[in-house]
Amino acid sequence: MKAGECSIAEAPSAARPGKYLTFVLGGQSYGIDILRVREILRLIAITPVPKMPPHIRGVINLRGKIIPVLDLRAMFGLPAAAGHDRSCIVVVQGRQADAAGALTGLWVDTVDEVIHLSEKDIEAPPDFGRRMEDQPLLGVAKSGQAVKILLDLDRILRDQTSAPS
Amino acid sequence: MSDADSPIVLNLESDGDLLKEYVIESREHLNNIEQGALMLEEHPDDADTLNSVFRSFHTFKGGAGFLNLNPISQLAHGLESLLDLARQQKLAFDAPGIELILRGRDLLKQFIDQIDAQLTGAAPLSPIAISISDFMGKIEAAMAVQPKPEPSPRPAETSAPVSASESATVKVDTGKLDSLVDLVGELMIAQSLVAQDTNSQAAANPQLARNMAQMARVTRELQRVSLSLRMVPIRGVFQKMARVVRDLAARQNKEVQLITEGEETELDRNLVEQLADPLLHMVRNAIDHGLESPEAREARGKPRAGVIHLRARHQSGGIIVELQDDGQGLDRERILAKAAAKGLAEPGAKLTDLEIWQFIFTPGFSTAQEVTDLSGRGVGLDVVRRNIERLRGRVDVESGPGQGTLFKLVLPLTMAIIDGLIVMVGGERYILPTLLARESFRPRPGMISTLPGRGEIVNLRGRVIPMLRLGEHFGIQPEAGEGIIVVVQTGPTLKCLLVDQLLHRQEVVIKNVSETIRQRNPSIAGAAILGDGRVGLILDVNALN
Repeated sequence: MKAGECSIAEAPSAARPGKYLTFVLGGQSYGIDILRVREILRLIAITPVPKMPPHIRGVINLRGKIIPVLDLRAMFGLPAAAGHDRSCIVVVQGRQADAAGALTGLWVDTVDEVIHLSEKDIEAPPDFGRRMEDQPLLGVAKSGQAVKILLDLDRILRDQTSAPS
Repeated sequence: MSDADSPIVLNLESDGDLLKEYVIESREHLNNIEQGALMLEEHPDDADTLNSVFRSFHTFKGGAGFLNLNPISQLAHGLESLLDLARQQKLAFDAPGIELILRGRDLLKQFIDQIDAQLTGAAPLSPIAISISDFMGKIEAAMAVQPKPEPSPRPAETSAPVSASESATVKVDTGKLDSLVDLVGELMIAQSLVAQDTNSQAAANPQLARNMAQMARVTRELQRVSLSLRMVPIRGVFQKMARVVRDLAARQNKEVQLITEGEETELDRNLVEQLADPLLHMVRNAIDHGLESPEAREARGKPRAGVIHLRARHQSGGIIVELQDDGQGLDRERILAKAAAKGLAEPGAKLTDLEIWQFIFTPGFSTAQEVTDLSGRGVGLDVVRRNIERLRGRVDVESGPGQGTLFKLVLPLTMAIIDGLIVMVGGERYILPTLLARESFRPRPGMISTLPGRGEIVNLRGRVIPMLRLGEHFGIQPEAGEGIIVVVQTGPTLKCLLVDQLLHRQEVVIKNVSETIRQRNPSIAGAAILGDGRVGLILDVNALN
């Protein structure tokens, strides 16, 4: 983890204006950079992998490739929800496109919409009194009435790949 | 010859691509030279081989001259001249001559290895300095002798026939081959998915049924052919062993005859490359420990020369490679004593031969009384076993006192596909390598008992085998019922796995799972896409503990 923190310090991440894909987890809307989204899968069988932490839900067959699926609810400490017909897997691309495991699936309640955020829509994440480095947040955005939390994908994928502590 | 020892400095920027080509070509020539030299040792009059070795050196020289690799070109020139004299029947080509050719070839290989390492970035870019002047002196000395046997009436060939025997082949990047095999694997899966989807309609529609059957046939054939593209004969590895046997026997003052069989047996090239190392260890072991000295052999009424058989053959969808020596065989008592001393076995334990032989694969196990520079340091056989297991194969041993030892490697034909046994645990399917599965049976009452603190054991025909409940081990709720036990070979021992159901046997294409999953559960060796498109996990039975 030391190395990971180091690289964060070197490249402070901030939400950039642009298009975001939003999805819902436990009633809250989240957004991720659309450029990193490869595709959205519905109703696909996930094969559970034994002895994994709760946030690794299993693996799926993506046209012949085996990719891991992360459960964002478990990752964010939300109560587990039973899968229903609107749950989706958002397939995202890791930063190193060359690595074999570059694609990862994110299991979410529902996929919402694609929104365009300009500079003025985005704010730095509010200070909850906790150390912000611990959270995979890039910022928050207001879109109409709703507040959307913009997620740091690299952070999520890195946490997932780091060795179990 | 003043600049014979001047180091080679590579210019990767301008010559990088050419050097790469040169290295690839050179490796072929090095092989050709080595094989040719060994052939000439047995048939000194084989003009075709002599010419072919000569041509290899010649090409070596040409390329080196072009790329300004001075020492290489001089070395190749010297060896070429030596061979030229032999070609013209001016020089008897005897054992020292062959030795020179082989040593020269090894020197050339050192150069090529270093160039290769610097090209691939495995070694830092630095001048390559390997002294060749001593060796050049030896060549000159050999050429100066010129004992010249009376010229034979046969006219010496002056112009070598060029590439008459080479068949029409295309060189293809192995990466492309691998992705072709992957794609065909996916096509197979897609085909079986479509077949399942259309199964119900096919009954009412003979045309569809015929077409589906035809498609199934073509895809299967396509897979067979695409896999065969990666198949190479095991010959290359066997020839390497011929060289090792020759050199080791000379160094150990032993007389050894190597007899190879089934050199044309084909297997995946990825496997061939990884087979060389374990085989090398085994050959060393056989010469060092297995075969007695010529004197000792005579005293026992055996011929002075020891015989090592190296055999390969296909068997039940896999490949079997056997190494057999007619040496002293394994010493049951000594191995048992050593095992007891190391705490691996109870003193006086009644063990079967099979169990005793497995001790020799334990790390740090060696009964050699003296340590030689070849083997006997207790490294080797455990490495062999690990390597073979990594290739999803296993090693069997047969031996008897005075009767020699037989090592039998049982390997899959390819690393791309695994013959899998699909088992069901808690509603999920898992894949066990069929090669490692010995038998399966429904447990009868009283077969399973619990050793306090040691877990459960199964009494199978008087043999006690530890058992693992796979569902419990994985933290999955197994289905109701007594389940079924699969006996698997894990390294030296057997292990019983209790699963819910045994579904069927199926060939599956092996896919990697992400590193993060493998780190967290090392018993997941990979994954495969099953007939219905879902993922099944391939288990590494050695890591199930």
